[in-house]
Parts: sequence; structure tokens; C-alpha cells
Amino acid sequence: MPEGVIKIGVVSCSGENCLGGTISRLATRKMIDEIYPDKTVTICLPLFLAGGEQERMFANAYPTITVDGCDKLCAKRATEKYSGQVSDALDVSKIIGKEIAESPALSTRNLTDEQREMITKVAQEIKTKFEKVFTDYVNTLIKSGKTPASGCGCQCGG
Amino acid sequence: MSKRYALLPCNGLDKTAGCISREIALKVEERSESEIICPVFFRVAEAKYRQSTQDRPLVVIDGCQTRCASKLAAEKNLKIAEKITVAEEAKKRGQQIGASLRLGSDELALAEAIAQQLLAEESKEEKEVKRAGEEVVAFPEKYEYEIYTKDKFIFRVPKGEQFFFNENDCWAYVIGHRARVGVTDFVQQSLSDIMFFTPPTIGAEVEQFGELGNIESGKAVFEIVSPVSGKVVAVNDELVSSPERINDNPYEKGWIAELELTNFENDRELLLDFKSYFNILKRKVDSFHV
Amino acid sequence: MFSKIKVIPCSGMGKVYGLLARESALRVTQNLRPQECETMCLAYLVTGDQEAREKIEGKNCITLDGCPAMCAAKNVEMAGGIVVDKMKMIDIMKEYKGAKPGTATELTEEGWQIVDEIAERIAAKVKKLAKEEE
Repeated sequence: MPEGVIKIGVVSCSGENCLGGTISRLATRKMIDEIYPDKTVTICLPLFLAGGEQERMFANAYPTITVDGCDKLCAKRATEKYSGQVSDALDVSKIIGKEIAESPALSTRNLTDEQREMITKVAQEIKTKFEKVFTDYVNTLIKSGKTPASGCGCQCGG
Repeated sequence: MSKRYALLPCNGLDKTAGCISREIALKVEERSESEIICPVFFRVAEAKYRQSTQDRPLVVIDGCQTRCASKLAAEKNLKIAEKITVAEEAKKRGQQIGASLRLGSDELALAEAIAQQLLAEESKEEKEVKRAGEEVVAFPEKYEYEIYTKDKFIFRVPKGEQFFFNENDCWAYVIGHRARVGVTDFVQQSLSDIMFFTPPTIGAEVEQFGELGNIESGKAVFEIVSPVSGKVVAVNDELVSSPERINDNPYEKGWIAELELTNFENDRELLLDFKSYFNILKRKVDSFHV
Repeated sequence: MFSKIKVIPCSGMGKVYGLLARESALRVTQNLRPQECETMCLAYLVTGDQEAREKIEGKNCITLDGCPAMCAAKNVEMAGGIVVDKMKMIDIMKEYKGAKPGTATELTEEGWQIVDEIAERIAAKVKKLAKEEE
């Protein structure tokens, strides 16, 4: 089956309260801008929470990874509530440290080299989880003999 | 018959065009049974004007492209009978608006001309009485769709024998000698949030594949290519203040214009039916990074 | 006791307008009017965080939404906040026809200029509201 039609959703918080939110947002953007642009679909968390049909439909049908800036895990809880089990979840505060993650939110105007390194580090973690979820998903599809659900809405495989 | 409008001018006190809009409202109010709605008061206490907006046709008078009065009307879910944008009216008349907030003779003359226009216009009721013998074309409010998805994006294509499409992703729904025209989901998804709508002119004769106005987002300007030839008889004015309706649903509330058809039997030979267009759409969507 | 005015952006991930909303909120709450306003995480509110709801209930809020979905305005109202102003980045961008503010990841020079201008507008509203509350 063509790999190109398989996508994984990434739901990120972009918490205004803390640096963890900024890092979470930028690391997720790195996934779609640089790392796996053809395989990643970002889900807009506010729209997802407000009932966005397209966002929820995708998260329901496809594997989803959540990326949270702090241990409140808003993205994870929201995805579980509205679209079922997440395939994997990341808590940025566990990667960069709770104290740093909880420091005030940062404007992207003033990123330091140190912060850029944090973004890269978190992006790498997302990438690792992403690859595992992707592989598992492909294997599941192969085993079940199903074609991916993207394409014609009547599931004819077209 | 004396006009009985509810007049909603913008409150543009820092621009000449805004001051002209106020002047227009005053002139119309003085010479008819119309009532002025203060936009500032309306925003905080709409109860005062509720009766007026229910009983009278609403005329919105904006000074400039920011269209504050139109936005206020949209916010309050009001049906707008007539929309005037002073800057556009000045442009149509080849007139420059001065910089002073105190209106000069040219600005007052412009206000007078626009006021006269409003006072002379037939009301919707008057037009309906006149058109009593004419055929009324009622387009459906809802359609059935076939859906194609890519990632999280949904592309609807309306089914039905009366739908015709061109390869420029525009559609026409034909009833008798009338067609309603718009753009497909492929266009609105590609453009993302649509911010501006430039409508075609009512009365304009358009050839098949001729231009029927345009829509613009932060990404691009899209020229609407008419699938049919005809005369523009109606335009979806709501899109001027709320172009996002095209994003919500470009087939229902986001329709663009209606045309009186002039050559449909020939036109249809170059148009696609639902099935053909759906296949084209799938190919476009698959190869496009939305 | 004076309660800071809440300036809450939607922070949508997919479009530049979400980033404009976020950056404008940060500029006004961290630089222009830090004594009179603060921002809040929309996700906290919507996922039912009790502390967040108590902070917002009955309080004056200014919401900044990236797109017509109006996620911030709708959700803040549902959580009991008094939305005194609903700012929509798309509508503001209509005043900057032809501008290229950037992407959802980063803003251009033009984008930052627009952020500064939007932030000034919000700051003026905050100043006015704060005065009324005193």
C-alpha cells in the first residue's frame, strides 16, 4: 500500500502560561515543516476542543500523538475525551525539566540558542515516538488487509 | 411612497468617508420616514432599536473598506437590505474624498447624490409587486454531497443532475433559464480563510469562462471563472461582509451570483457533470499539499 | 481588589493568524500592560481546570481569535468569562491587504509589525477597561 497516504496526527498544546507550551508548539511545527511534512497532520487544539469536525474526525480515524507543555496534559486529555485513546503522548516538562517548562511563556521573537536546542530535542523525541506509531500502524493495516481510510468518503478504497 | 429605512451609518469619526456616511444618513432621515441607528449605542444596548430593525429594511452605510457598520449588522444577525460603502461610491463616480474631517462642497455633493440614490430606489416590496407576473426561482437551501478526504480536510461535491462544473473548480446549479454559481470546496480549502469578495456587477453580461468577480485570502486571489454565459441578475451580498461563508459552505450560504442564462445548450457541452468533476477533484486533491 | 483583565488568544496551530493572536497577547501582557492584564491558557479552561474557571468567572476578558471559528471567544463565554471584546485576526488582517505576515511557525518583519500594532490596540482597550474598573 502506498506509504504516502498514511498520516499521523500530532495534537500539541501551545500553552500561554508557560515555556513548555511554546516549546511544545514549535517542536510540533518542526515535525510538519521539516521532519515529516508529508506524514504529519497537525490538529489545532482550540478548534478540536471547540468541536471542529475535521480535527475530531481525523483524530478518530488515525493514530494520534499528543504533545503537552506541562503535566496538566490538556492535549492528551482532550484527545482521549473526544476521539478515543491516543497512540502516544509526550510531556515536554519531563524532557526539559519541570522548572524550565513552567517558566513564563516565550515569544518566538526572542528565542535563544538554548531554547532552540530544547525545541530540537523535543522534536527528536516526537520523531522517535512518531516513527514507532507509524510503523505499528502500517503493520496493523497489513495484518488486517485493510487499505488506508483516506480518499473517497464511501470507503471504496478509491 | 416615503422610505422607511433603518439607517446604520458607521461611526468613522477619524476619516472623511465616515463623516460622509453620517451625512448621508442624516439627509435620508430628514427627507423620509427613516430612522437612524446609532452604532455605538446599538453595540451596548440593542433593545432600543430592536423594533426598528425588525420592521424596516436595514440600510448599512460604511465609510471605508473596514466596513464596521456591516460587521456590526452581521454580529447582531441582521438582514441587510442595502449596503453602501462611501469609498466605493466615490470611486465609481470618479471622485476623490478630501482629507479634512469637516466636509467640503465636494463631499457634501457626494453625500447628496448617494442620499438621492437611496431615496429613489425601489424597495424590495415595490420590486416584488412589479415582478408579480415573473417566475420566481427558488434554489434549494441544502444539497446532498459526495465526500473526498485528504488528511483532515473534507472536500464535498454536490450531487444532482442540475449541477455542472468547469475545470476551474466553479459550479453552476441550473433551474430553467437561471443558474446559481459558486466555487467548489477545492477552492475554499486551497485558499484557506477568505477575507475579501469582489462581486460581479449586476446587469453585467458574462461569457462562458469569463470573470465573475474574485475572492481573496492571505494566500492568493482567485478569479471566479463563470461556468455559464448569461446576465448577472443577483449577487450574494452577504459575502461582502462575511466572505468566510464561502469557507463554511461554498454551495449553500456561500453561493456567489445568479445569472439569467443566454446560451446554456452550447455551454453545457464544455461542462462536467458531478461524476466527471469528482474524479478530477480527487486527482487534484491527491497531488496538492493542502 | 483589582483583578487583572484576561487577554486570551486562541493560539491555533495551523494558520499564521493563530500565531499572530498568540504573539499579540504575549506582547501586551508581558511588555505593554503587565500590571493590568494577563493571559491564560485556553486549553486549561476548556478541559475544565477548576482553578482556571475560578480565575475567569465573571471577569472581563478580551479574546483574540485567529479564524472565524472563534474558539477563544466561544469557550471563554462558556466558561463564564465576560468577553468585552472579541478580536478576530482575520478581520484585522483585512486592513493589511497584501501583507505577508509569515507562517504558523514564524512571522516575517511585516508580521511582527502587525503584532506590535495589534498589541497597541489591545493595550489601549486594557487601559480603558482598567480605568473603568478602578
